[in-house]
Amino acid sequence: MPIVDMQKVFLFSHQQEKDTVINILRDLGAVELVDLKEGSAWEEIKSLLVPEQSADAVTRLESQLGEVRYCLDFLQRHFPVQKSFAQQFTGAKINLTSAEYADYISRGEEIKAIYKACRAADEKLTNLRNEETRYHNLLQGLAPWAGFSLPLGQIENTGRLRMHLFTVPTDDLLSLQKSLTETAPDHYLEVVSTDKELAYFFLIFLADEAKQVQEMLKEAGAAEVSFPGISDTASQAISTLNKKLVNIQHERTELVKKVEELLVHRPHLMAYFDYLEGERAKKEVVGNFARTETSFLLEGWIPAPLVSNLEKALAEKSETAILVVRDPEPEEKVPVLLQNSGTADAFEVVTRLYSTPSQREIDPTPLMAPFFFVFFGICLSDAGYGVVLSLLALFLSRKIKLGGMGKQLIKLLFLGGISSFVFGVLMGSWFGDLLKLRALWFNPLDDPMRMLIVCFILGFIQIFFGMGVRAYQNIKAGRTLDALFDQGFWYIFLIGLVSLASPQFGAAGKWLAIGGALGLVLTQGRSQKGVFKKFFGGLLSLYNVTGYLSDVLSYSRLLALGLATGVIAAAINTMGGLLARGIVGVIVMVIVLIGGHFFNLIISALGSYVHTSRLQYIEFFGKFFEGGGRAFRPFCKTTKFVEIEEREA
Amino acid sequence: MTGIVLALLGAALAVGLAGIGSAMGVGLVGQSAAGVVTEDPDKFGQTLLLQALPGTQGIYGLLTGFIIMQRVGVIGADLLNLTMQQGFSVFMASLPVAIVGFISAIYQGKAAAAGVGLIAKRPEELGKAIIYAVMVETYAVLALLASIMLLFGIAL
Repeated sequence: MPIVDMQKVFLFSHQQEKDTVINILRDLGAVELVDLKEGSAWEEIKSLLVPEQSADAVTRLESQLGEVRYCLDFLQRHFPVQKSFAQQFTGAKINLTSAEYADYISRGEEIKAIYKACRAADEKLTNLRNEETRYHNLLQGLAPWAGFSLPLGQIENTGRLRMHLFTVPTDDLLSLQKSLTETAPDHYLEVVSTDKELAYFFLIFLADEAKQVQEMLKEAGAAEVSFPGISDTASQAISTLNKKLVNIQHERTELVKKVEELLVHRPHLMAYFDYLEGERAKKEVVGNFARTETSFLLEGWIPAPLVSNLEKALAEKSETAILVVRDPEPEEKVPVLLQNSGTADAFEVVTRLYSTPSQREIDPTPLMAPFFFVFFGICLSDAGYGVVLSLLALFLSRKIKLGGMGKQLIKLLFLGGISSFVFGVLMGSWFGDLLKLRALWFNPLDDPMRMLIVCFILGFIQIFFGMGVRAYQNIKAGRTLDALFDQGFWYIFLIGLVSLASPQFGAAGKWLAIGGALGLVLTQGRSQKGVFKKFFGGLLSLYNVTGYLSDVLSYSRLLALGLATGVIAAAINTMGGLLARGIVGVIVMVIVLIGGHFFNLIISALGSYVHTSRLQYIEFFGKFFEGGGRAFRPFCKTTKFVEIEEREA
Repeated sequence: MTGIVLALLGAALAVGLAGIGSAMGVGLVGQSAAGVVTEDPDKFGQTLLLQALPGTQGIYGLLTGFIIMQRVGVIGADLLNLTMQQGFSVFMASLPVAIVGFISAIYQGKAAAAGVGLIAKRPEELGKAIIYAVMVETYAVLALLASIMLLFGIAL
């Protein structure tokens, strides 16, 4: 039974046992809670209830969570946890025994101190960075004045003299000097430095002539520069600043070392974060309950086989809980849990990536699994690649712990490797033509037409099978005539058309095709009103034959992808062969072969996976599968950072 | 000019045009992927998967080019002396993958880039994003098939 039967549960218990019940539900992880307010009974029981006062607790949890998240982010910023490529898909978690976990949770008080330490270090680091930026800017401003010997503090206006530092566009410097000499001959101008854009100069002029001089400076585009707070010469100031910068560097290194010391707390923070999240989830769940002063009621879905587990757990740990279980009512939207046993379980991931089946459908997974297995093998079709892929999948499943879809995907790749090995042996492909073993069946490279026919036949089988499933669904739903009209006549018509092509059955095929077509013309317009509409609707339906044609042709991709794998592998081997001259050549050859074949394996396996999936989704599922179900999401323990190993409990 | 020049032109077009298309497609996806990864670096792996999809056309082109080189003897055996008609036939055989590969890779890139946007909000829907992009690739696969069948069918 691939789609698990669901039961509706109602649980009624004393308010004092609320936490106990929530913990039981969470540890069991088998009940999806339903918000009672959405239910039909809400109106009737509404008046009996009192609101929950857990808002305070939630706020406190939220703020604690915020602190822990801040610490983790801070540590992550300075000492990021590197994730491997695979972990980017799966997430990186640390493993803790349940004793360690419990220890971390009991020391929740320490989190406050860690938070303070993080906060302080973060603030200091920010201050240092601001200071550093300021010094850097100042250094940039001072650099052009490095050659100026007068201490900057001594640039001061006196009673008769005005003195300032200026910049002016380099191109305008000469004309400025000239006009100054003309209008105010009693001035002193020292050009300190020039660069591409600006000239930097020091100017002394008479206070009496200030007005004219300032006018001229303005015209030339000169701007005054000042360095408040610096009394040394520019070069002295620069060296002081550089020393300060070095100090900042030191301070920062010290601080980062201190932050590094905080790193030991990271597992603690992670564990506590997950703990707090769990607590918050519990509080949120309570929002779905209906409660009075002394009791509460909850509603949920549970897979039928797990009802006894829940009953047992409640009997053990709770004194007041009353459980009522009933079958779902016809109008209720039941969440769907897929459960395939054995090998078919791996193919669930393919179905789930398309859509969860609705509760009234059959799970297409076991029907699709054999096709997926075979098609993947034909697409990759290399014995060597198959072995490597399976070993890789085996290695990954040992190396990283995965749950749910990830685990299924790895298993799927493992099975795909086996299938690829089988077809590789049949078609005589071992890393392309690296090992020249004779094909047990035939090599598609020698006879692509034959392989194309094989692909079409496989496609034909799958499409017919899909139609068969639809017919079965129709018959089961009591629509036997629909099955005869919509699938039966198409069977007759299509088989007739195919037989037309063969010399032996040509005559029979002709009559089958005509008979089938006649049946279709007479029945396919049956939903229309009026004789003419019925007739034309039926006639038009024959046009759908192009749909079946293109569906079958679509399976030619099996051949194309198989050829692509083989020919690219052969190309890599040829390239490698060209290099094999001398020892260095042989080494390079080996590198080219390994790298090339690995690349080809990854690309071809990806192509095989996506194209095989497509054949299932469009060509096969399109015939009978509707989907649109809602996946079952039980209330359970979820962790973001830590994985708790239960065995040492 | 003998047939061999035309045959090699065919190989060059198959590799070149399909390669250009893939480069553009992969580039397009890379741009949107980089945007998403700015927000969430953990999506690198998923977006990389999508970015790889429009790359296959370039490989199909290379594959076709390689078959041509092998058939006319540029690699391996001695160079064949092709007639104009043979050379032209090989040239024609390269066109499906060259043209369809070029254009389909760009459009697949667009579909995959939109898929990147999809997984930015709903990472669990990666499968659907991939399928949308693969719908486009179908036509490149069919073109590759046509090119290969033509090449194996031409008597040299």
